[in-house]
Amino acid sequence: MILLIEPDLVLAKIYSNALNAVGYEITVMGQAQSAILALDAQLPDLIILEPQLVGHSGIEFLYELRSYADLQNIPVLMHSFVQLEAFNQSREVLRTLNVVGYLYKPQTSLQQLITLVQTMPKLAIK
Amino acid sequence: MERFDSRQRLLIAMAEQLKLPLLQIARTAEQAGTSPSFQQSNTISSTADIALRMIDGYLLSILPVQDQLPLEPILVSAVLQDTAHRLSKVASDYNCQIEVSIIGRQAPVMANRKNIEIAYTLLLYAFIQAQENPVTIQRVLLATHKTPNGLEAGIFGDQKGINNEMLRRARALCGSARQPLPFMSSSGGAGVFIADNLLQAMNAPLHIAKHQKLNGLAATLLPSYQLQFTKL
Repeated sequence: MILLIEPDLVLAKIYSNALNAVGYEITVMGQAQSAILALDAQLPDLIILEPQLVGHSGIEFLYELRSYADLQNIPVLMHSFVQLEAFNQSREVLRTLNVVGYLYKPQTSLQQLITLVQTMPKLAIK
Repeated sequence: MERFDSRQRLLIAMAEQLKLPLLQIARTAEQAGTSPSFQQSNTISSTADIALRMIDGYLLSILPVQDQLPLEPILVSAVLQDTAHRLSKVASDYNCQIEVSIIGRQAPVMANRKNIEIAYTLLLYAFIQAQENPVTIQRVLLATHKTPNGLEAGIFGDQKGINNEMLRRARALCGSARQPLPFMSSSGGAGVFIADNLLQAMNAPLHIAKHQKLNGLAATLLPSYQLQFTKL
């Protein structure tokens, strides 16, 4: 299962439909708090995160996520409107927070996103 | 952001905001394009992707980081091949054939990857759009060759009137109501100017060049001596 944290409803629908079409079960959340609650219900194999969220930021979400022992090893893929360079001060922090990859949303096609997700060991479609 | 006045900040904010609707269009069209009955979606998707790159290019060209741009060794031939591949769908919509001409073995050049990729994408798009005769297939050439000053890489086409005077006048008219690039674009030709700015930040402004009897716009990039395995 993939937890998609995407604040824009239109994009959330597009990404979840695309991933769903290739066989993934997707849970979509628009906010950090609701995402944390969703994790109580089921642990995902991957979290795809847009760090620019309404209310709590995605970075705050990551810190909270990693503060729980049972959630520390879930890989997080950042998929964002924010350019990687903007994280210059905290790239090391992203690594320590187990962010396994970064995709700049405006230059990542659906196919590229799907391909990357499929390369994740637990998510390879058999 | 302190170097920008409030109007410029508003323009930057608008450019950032425009990315969202464009991305929605691009990805919706990409998804629809997987169905055989919506083949035109590929065109919509490609066009929206180029618009996103133009916004990124604009934002990149005005950022303070351009004053101290980090450079790295880059193979220009690979950048040109990628650019040609990226715009191949759009080119076919404009009845245009993209060719890549790499003459000789070439060493890497010192450039900023993001700047150079966006610059050549926008420049190629401008040449594709500038086709005068939509009936016959037009050639657009991405080419690179060595010169005494470095590696010249540019985009070349059949357009008449590409000369130094045109480029000088175009730079002076950028942003005005008069068409700055009448031989290339019916609109403001923003892509060419954004490309010029991005290349200028790497001390490689656009200039007029020729390749295989075609006229074009090129930049001369400095080779990376550290990684030079072939003699320039």
